[in-house]
Amino acid sequence: MNVSAQDGAVPVSARAPWPFRVPTAFWLIAPAVLFLALFFVFPLLRLVAISLPGGSVEYYEQIFTTPVFLRVIGETFRVSLIVTAVTVAVAYPYAYAMAHGGRTVLLLLTVALLIPFWVSLLLRSFSWIVLLQNSGLINDVLIAMGLIEKPIRLIRTPFGVMIGMVHILLPYAVLPLYTVMKKIDLRLVEASSICGASWLKGFIRIYFPLSLPGVAASAILAFTLALGFYITPALLGSPRDMMIAQMIAGQFNEQLNFGLGAALAVVLMVLTAIAFGLFGAARAVLQSRGRSKDGV
Amino acid sequence: MDRLRRALFWLIVGLTALFLLLPTLIIVPMSFTTTTTLEFPPVGFTLDWYGKVIGAADWQSALINSLVVAIAAAALATVVGTAAALALHAHRFRGKTVVMGLLLSPMVTPVIVLAVGMYMVFSGWGLVATRLGLVLAHTVLAIPFVVVSVLASAGMVNPSLVPASLGLGASRWFTFKRVTLPLIMPGVLSGAVFAFITSWDEVVIALFLADVQTRTVPIMIWNQVRTNLDPATAAVAAILILLSALGVLLSYKFRDVRS
Repeated sequence: MNVSAQDGAVPVSARAPWPFRVPTAFWLIAPAVLFLALFFVFPLLRLVAISLPGGSVEYYEQIFTTPVFLRVIGETFRVSLIVTAVTVAVAYPYAYAMAHGGRTVLLLLTVALLIPFWVSLLLRSFSWIVLLQNSGLINDVLIAMGLIEKPIRLIRTPFGVMIGMVHILLPYAVLPLYTVMKKIDLRLVEASSICGASWLKGFIRIYFPLSLPGVAASAILAFTLALGFYITPALLGSPRDMMIAQMIAGQFNEQLNFGLGAALAVVLMVLTAIAFGLFGAARAVLQSRGRSKDGV
Repeated sequence: MDRLRRALFWLIVGLTALFLLLPTLIIVPMSFTTTTTLEFPPVGFTLDWYGKVIGAADWQSALINSLVVAIAAAALATVVGTAAALALHAHRFRGKTVVMGLLLSPMVTPVIVLAVGMYMVFSGWGLVATRLGLVLAHTVLAIPFVVVSVLASAGMVNPSLVPASLGLGASRWFTFKRVTLPLIMPGVLSGAVFAFITSWDEVVIALFLADVQTRTVPIMIWNQVRTNLDPATAAVAAILILLSALGVLLSYKFRDVRS
């Protein structure tokens, strides 16, 4: 182990936290890129190829002309939109409390947010089945409160699916909202009330517009994730209210119509990519706004 | 008026927190019920359901499959992902955004799409119904988590430490082992925990790639939930939640070491 004087200058880029020469970067990245090319990109491309046998778009034609498929795609959009709206509406006050409620509140609410985040989707859907079944806790409580006389049907309904989905999406929706809200200066709202504005007016005219980038980011994220849900609708819903992911699985498991299943998968992939592109755009707008504000 | 509004606000926030916690909180108590159906609140107290699960051969083999696959996937994803994250952190190069996008995109691709795509490709390669196939698939899902975690911890390393070590006469390899690696270790380890849990909890891809011999614990749960709900499922769920909690504590501990 000699003093490195003969080795020449320190051979690293200025930011490197390790001591190797620059070409090392290639060898460090190559395994990951190759691995994903082989086991991630290739399967997706394969799906595209299977969906276009001999360059024919027959499967896509079938999807966009058959009422069953159109209904499932429509249902997927409908459920995803409703779930997104409910999720953001529930997430908004929660994120507000996290952002402006002080340290203790922030800690408690963060713990409540992260505990379910760490329990698998499958287990949470299982738990909702137990809670929502006819002899479940929700029905028991409603009966005890005298709101209903006999158990109402909650699982195997779109309502059950939506409860389960909102529960899973909530953490994803709260975090972007919180990030934006904690940067909002509450003195602006105070100033408006000193100037005579009511609480409501201050909120609508000052606070809400400032929080809009967070609303957009969390809505688009929730919507993107909602489109591809499989486990929750399969466990909590009825086959009649099928979403697109279940239909894809069905084509591969039961119908054995791989071409059609692949085409449906490509449709879902494209829809998700579009929704996620919107997410990126919303974030870019948010960041440029932040920058221009810093510049002032 | 103002107080009423405040009370209403905190009521809504409190109910939301309850809504978030409820499903997790009820699982564990339910596994102790003496009834044969899942009840909340549970009736009586018994550990029979745990005994039943631990004694059953199919649960045992599923548990071994899950452990083997999750450990292998976590190891593979950690090595490959850490290397890539280090390079991404330290270098600017053309196509960096594209590489970054590729490394993170498994996180946002609908799992069902991945599952059917891998099913088609892996069946041609003889990887369906093998543990290796599951390991490869779960590694794909886990790489983004490792990359994100290591990038975060590499960003906190003081960049002048490496030149300092070299300047003091240490060899490159020695510097890497004794300076770089210890500093990024918290990120690497918490990435590994994330990767393990990703595989451990994964069900959709496993449904397409596994058979009776290679099925994992989540598949057993899936089958149980779809056929009959009995407290044994809650016992398994409670064990899984305990393990996840342990993993989370570990990953936070790794972060604490740093700060």
